[in-house]
Amino acid sequence: MGLFSKKKNDPLKSTTPPRSHTEESNEIKKLQTKLQDNIKIVKGTLGGSSDTIIREIRIGKGGVLKAGIIYTDGLSDAPSIQNFILESLMLDIKNTEVESKLTLNPQLMNTLKDFAMTVGEVKDVTNFDELLNALLSGDVIFLIDGYSNGLIIGNKHWVDRGVTESSTQTVIRGPREAFSENLRVNTALIRRKIKDPKLWMESRVIGIRTKTNIEIMYIKGIASDEIVGEVRIRLDRINIDGILESGNIEELIQDANNSSFPTVYNTERPDVVAAALLEGRIAILIDGTPFVLIVPALFVQFFQSAEDYYQRADLTSLIRILRFFSFTIALLAPAVFIAATTFHHEMIPTALLISLAAQREGVPFPAFVEALIMEITFEILREAGIRMPKAVGSAMSIVGAFVIGSAAVEAGIVSAAMVIVVSMTAIASFVTPTYDMGMTIRILRFVFMGLAASFGLFGITVGLIALVLHLCSLRSFGVPYMSPIAPFNADGQQDTFVRFPLWKMRTRPHLISQENIDRQQNSASAKPEPEKGQ
Amino acid sequence: MKKGIVILLILSVVLSGCWNRRELNELAITMAIGIDKLEDEYLVSAQVVVPAEVSASGGKGGSPVTLVQGRGETVYEAIRKMTKGSPRKIYPGHLRILILGESLAKEGIGNPLDLISRDWEFRSDFYVVIAKDSTAEELLNIQTPLESIPANKMFNTLKTSEENWAATVGVTLDQLIINLRSDGKEAVLTGLVATGQIEKGSSKQNVETVTPAANIQFDDLAAFKDDKLVGWLTEDESRAYSDIMNLVKSTVGTISCPEEGKANLEVLRFKSDVKGNVKNGIPEVDIGIQIEANVGAIECPIDITIPESLEALEKIYEKEVEKTIKDSITSVQEKYEADIFGFGNAIHRSNPKEWKTMKKEWNEYFIDLVVNTKVDVKIIKTGTVSNSVVEKRKD
Repeated sequence: MGLFSKKKNDPLKSTTPPRSHTEESNEIKKLQTKLQDNIKIVKGTLGGSSDTIIREIRIGKGGVLKAGIIYTDGLSDAPSIQNFILESLMLDIKNTEVESKLTLNPQLMNTLKDFAMTVGEVKDVTNFDELLNALLSGDVIFLIDGYSNGLIIGNKHWVDRGVTESSTQTVIRGPREAFSENLRVNTALIRRKIKDPKLWMESRVIGIRTKTNIEIMYIKGIASDEIVGEVRIRLDRINIDGILESGNIEELIQDANNSSFPTVYNTERPDVVAAALLEGRIAILIDGTPFVLIVPALFVQFFQSAEDYYQRADLTSLIRILRFFSFTIALLAPAVFIAATTFHHEMIPTALLISLAAQREGVPFPAFVEALIMEITFEILREAGIRMPKAVGSAMSIVGAFVIGSAAVEAGIVSAAMVIVVSMTAIASFVTPTYDMGMTIRILRFVFMGLAASFGLFGITVGLIALVLHLCSLRSFGVPYMSPIAPFNADGQQDTFVRFPLWKMRTRPHLISQENIDRQQNSASAKPEPEKGQ
Repeated sequence: MKKGIVILLILSVVLSGCWNRRELNELAITMAIGIDKLEDEYLVSAQVVVPAEVSASGGKGGSPVTLVQGRGETVYEAIRKMTKGSPRKIYPGHLRILILGESLAKEGIGNPLDLISRDWEFRSDFYVVIAKDSTAEELLNIQTPLESIPANKMFNTLKTSEENWAATVGVTLDQLIINLRSDGKEAVLTGLVATGQIEKGSSKQNVETVTPAANIQFDDLAAFKDDKLVGWLTEDESRAYSDIMNLVKSTVGTISCPEEGKANLEVLRFKSDVKGNVKNGIPEVDIGIQIEANVGAIECPIDITIPESLEALEKIYEKEVEKTIKDSITSVQEKYEADIFGFGNAIHRSNPKEWKTMKKEWNEYFIDLVVNTKVDVKIIKTGTVSNSVVEKRKD
């Protein structure tokens, strides 16, 4: 009943299918013919929000046509609205052949689109959903009185942070740039590194209210189609009102919700994403956050840093072993210390035992409680250090040094050896290149401390067995989490605990990329040709 | 079901509650234990470390160790009775040395050793020694310089001495037990003596003077027959014991020069090989010894730049070693009638069948056992100078 269109089956009504399945349930509201009606509906839907700018103009010969321009202040580029839309409509086409064509006729919109719009991206719009979507994304809406369709003129422009240096994953050698909050900038940063036409992107809009743009990025032919399909399925299954950060997506698509181990990798470094894409992994870019998700993510991946591949292979291998060693320390050092000092005194060398016993004289708490006090104090300090304003940082580090330091020992609350163990654990936990894995270690450390306090080394062993079983049961998008250690893969060892020289790493990770496995054809090119005649 | 198992697991962690947890400051870390026999009772003395006094931050000036004692009809009882006078329970996991009183050793060490080898808290790698001419209690009462914990001093002294002076032999509990149980070898243990004014050794003043009033020193070996002490070896006999048992790591041999004066040879490599043999039902043992030595010191006019004089020294040393060994064996055969050298084991290895018949009367066989010794000495180095410095000056 509400259709006022003069002509049925308007040829201009090029209906585009709804982009997101979440909108399908809503009734699609068509644009009205009268400009004033349309403006009224837009105003009404937005509740008269002050950032919606509505400009009514007259165009055509003698101003016969009433038109309206609607945009959102702050999301659209105001100077270019003036230069490329208003000026071209109101001034440039004056006294030209085009102007004479601007009368009420069915081809009016196409004429305008073809002759008058001096901007790159112009689309037709016929319903309010699309119109509002474009309007709130920063595009300019152009409507003409008497027509039940309009134009969406691409003019998104807002202030963003720009490409800055990575702050979460720093390297000494390697590119400094990091992703920003702008999705398009981020895709461009990756495109700039991989100029392969096979680098494909798929768009999704997730979030009923936030309508966050998301890109699935992979290299066709390297990435496994099955895993890409799985990513699509999982993303399409999301039905939530808002996605604000990659963490939201991660939580909704990850494999093991009950595990504290991350099964989705995130990074803010374009070079890491590019490397992952070349290995056959899939990147998920989310508008509004500099963190890009990479799947499938394996356990060993969290111990690899971008710099590993820019430095000499031998040094990298040693450093990587050091990281796994630090992981063990961060996980087990307080637990082993508790176990040894409360159950297995005979394991400690005599001189050390006496020294430790001397330090413990007068300490009122059992070793476990002592360790717990120190570890929790440290966690509090660490959390405070992240959350508090930078200006009070120095004040806190001074106080922190007192709490975990000689003052605590002198006060007789903890023993000096425990301070050393806790400090070493803290430093070791920062060696892990990814923050996510560091968090996991933080939690598990307390579990192991509890086991050590109850059962000694026996408890630690049982805990480790459970941990290994758990890790082996995990999967990330169908790929076993512990691969290439379990299931063991000889080729995969080239980039696990050690990194082989680049000229020896001839294949991509097997389980991730099954299709195009060879990275380089022959490795002989790595060395200079032997002299002839030898 | 799954939930139940998880809850059960968590409860087992929480409720079991550290059932034999012992904090470090609840332990009486015992470094040395002494066992004496007083009439029908055992007196067990434990040398317990006072951690605060030996810590790196320095103590209050008290004694680094304290002696905890207990009496009882058995060793176990005596050890448990110690808690009557000590706030902490004895923790022997880090025991360094076990001292047995001489009178106890004469009566037999088998019974008191049973607990120590049976209890799981004791390790078996500590030394067992005999308090010569004194009681274990007296020895444990002496403070020592250099190592503030006397037990450590004893342990390290024995270790160093064993490595550098062949006449001292450290015997650990496991070796002792093997020897006690073996048919073909009797046990030996090192003697430990207190020198000086023993009664002054307990006070701190003992370590405040350059020469301590009382000191602890290792002595020669004690020979055992079964588990009873039968006598003390002389220094030469002790030396011969380590020679035959191939225990020499490095030592110094003093020999007479061909003409006059003395010379020292430093033993660099030492290897001895004991081979048993049974001829017509009569056992025989061959000892082959190979020594590589270095000229350590020369206190006589001899030109060692000439190969012949080195050969002469080699010959003299060979003879001396051979003599020491022969004399020692004869003396042990006569005096103690105990096969401390393990010749029985050598026969067991070479002639297992004959050994079965000899085993029971091995002591009789041992007394008349013929031992052939062959020593081969090679001087391979002469030190940093050739002839004696005195010799040069005379020229």
